[in-house]
Amino acid sequence: MAITSRRDVLRYSAAGVVTAATAAVGVQGVTSADSAAAPQSAAADPRDFDETYKRKKIKGKHNAGGKHELQINNRKLALTSISTLFFPEDGSAPHVGVGYISAVNHYDPVEIDETANRDGLKKLAKKIVDILGDAELSDEAAQEHRH
Amino acid sequence: MAVVRKSVAAMTTAEKTAFINALRQFKTTSVSGRSYNAYIDLHITFFARTSDGISHAHQSASFLPWHRAFLTMLELDLQTVSGNPDIFIPYWDWTGGASPFTADFLGSITNGSVSSGNFSPSWGWSIYRSSIATSFLQRRLGMNASSPSAATVTTVQGVTVYDQSPWDPTVFNSYRNRNEIELHNRVHNYVGGHMGTREAPNDPVFWLHHCNIDRLWWQWQATRGIDTYQPRTGFTSGVIDNTETMRPFSTATTPSAVRDISNLDYSYA
Repeated sequence: MAITSRRDVLRYSAAGVVTAATAAVGVQGVTSADSAAAPQSAAADPRDFDETYKRKKIKGKHNAGGKHELQINNRKLALTSISTLFFPEDGSAPHVGVGYISAVNHYDPVEIDETANRDGLKKLAKKIVDILGDAELSDEAAQEHRH
Repeated sequence: MAVVRKSVAAMTTAEKTAFINALRQFKTTSVSGRSYNAYIDLHITFFARTSDGISHAHQSASFLPWHRAFLTMLELDLQTVSGNPDIFIPYWDWTGGASPFTADFLGSITNGSVSSGNFSPSWGWSIYRSSIATSFLQRRLGMNASSPSAATVTTVQGVTVYDQSPWDPTVFNSYRNRNEIELHNRVHNYVGGHMGTREAPNDPVFWLHHCNIDRLWWQWQATRGIDTYQPRTGFTSGVIDNTETMRPFSTATTPSAVRDISNLDYSYA
C-alpha cells in the first residue's frame, strides 16, 4: 500500500499548509489589533499588489481563511479554492496543494500559500490577463460558486 | 439509432459538414424543450456543488458517467434537430494525428478571436454566458499548456482502481481523478480561451475532447471490467453511488445505467 500511504502523507501535508496559513494570519491580526495602526490592519498582507501588467490593472488582496480577492481593470474575478493534486510540468513529484480556480481558469488551479507559492495570486492575475488578451472580464466572472 | 463514433481523422467531408451544421441549427432551434445553450447552462450549474451537496460533473467519482450521459443527450438532440439519425460525435485524439481546427470543420483560428470562418459570429455561432467579455469564440492553442503525451495516456490508463475515498481531486490512486486532471483538465488548458472556462461548451471542440475521454474510459473498462464504478451502492455522503441518479438527467440515469455503451446506441471505431 505504498501509494496509499504516500497519498495520505500528501493530504496531511496539504492540510498542514492550510493550518499554517490560517495560523499566520491569526497571529498577524492579533499583533495589528494591539498596535496603534489597527485601522489599517485589514490591508496589511505584504503579498497584496496593485500594479499594471500588459496594460491592465491587476489588484490582489489576501484575506484570512484563504478568501483572496482579485480584480482586473476594476472588474472582479470570483475565486474558489480547492485541495487538489498537482502534476508539475517541470517533472517534479506530484503533490497535493491548495489551488485557486475561477470561471476563467476553471481547469487550471494556481497554488497560493505563504511559502513557496507566496506570489501565487499575482501569477494567477497575470495568467488571466494573458487569457483575456484585448478583452475584459464580464459580469459572469464575478459570480461566486462552490466546489 | 446506433452510431459509430469516429476519429476526426476518419471523417468524410460530408460527415464534418453534417456535424457542424447540426450544431449551428441547434443554437437557434429548440428540441425536447432545450437548445444548444442549455448545455452551457447545465455545464455551469453542475460543475459547482449543487444544493444536494454533490459535485455531479467534476472533481468527483461521477465525472466519467456524467459526461457520458451529457454526450449521449447531445448526440440525440443533434440527430433530432437535423432529422439525420446518422449524426455522431467524433473524437479528437489530441496525442497526435488530425486536428479538428481546420477551415472545413471547427475553424482554423487558434490564437485569439475566431472572427471569421466556421464558428465565427458571421457563420452563425454566438457566445453565451462568457466570463470573457467578447462576442467571439476564444482559443489560445498551446499558450497555457501542452497536450498530454501518449506516454501520459498510457500511465493514466494503467491505474487499476476506478476511484476511492475521498472521491475528490486529491486522490492519487484513482483512474477517474488521474484521467480528469492529467488528461481532461490539461486538454481544456491546451486549447485555452473558452475551453479553459466554466462555460467551455461554447467551443464545439468540447464534445470532441470529451468523446475522446469517454473512449479512453471505455477502453479502460474493456480491460478492467465494465461494471467497475466506485463507490458501489451504499449512499456514500456527497458522492454519486453506482445506482444513484445523476442530476439533471432523467430518473434512473445512474453510473450503472450508462456503464455499457452498447446499451446507449453508440460504439467507437
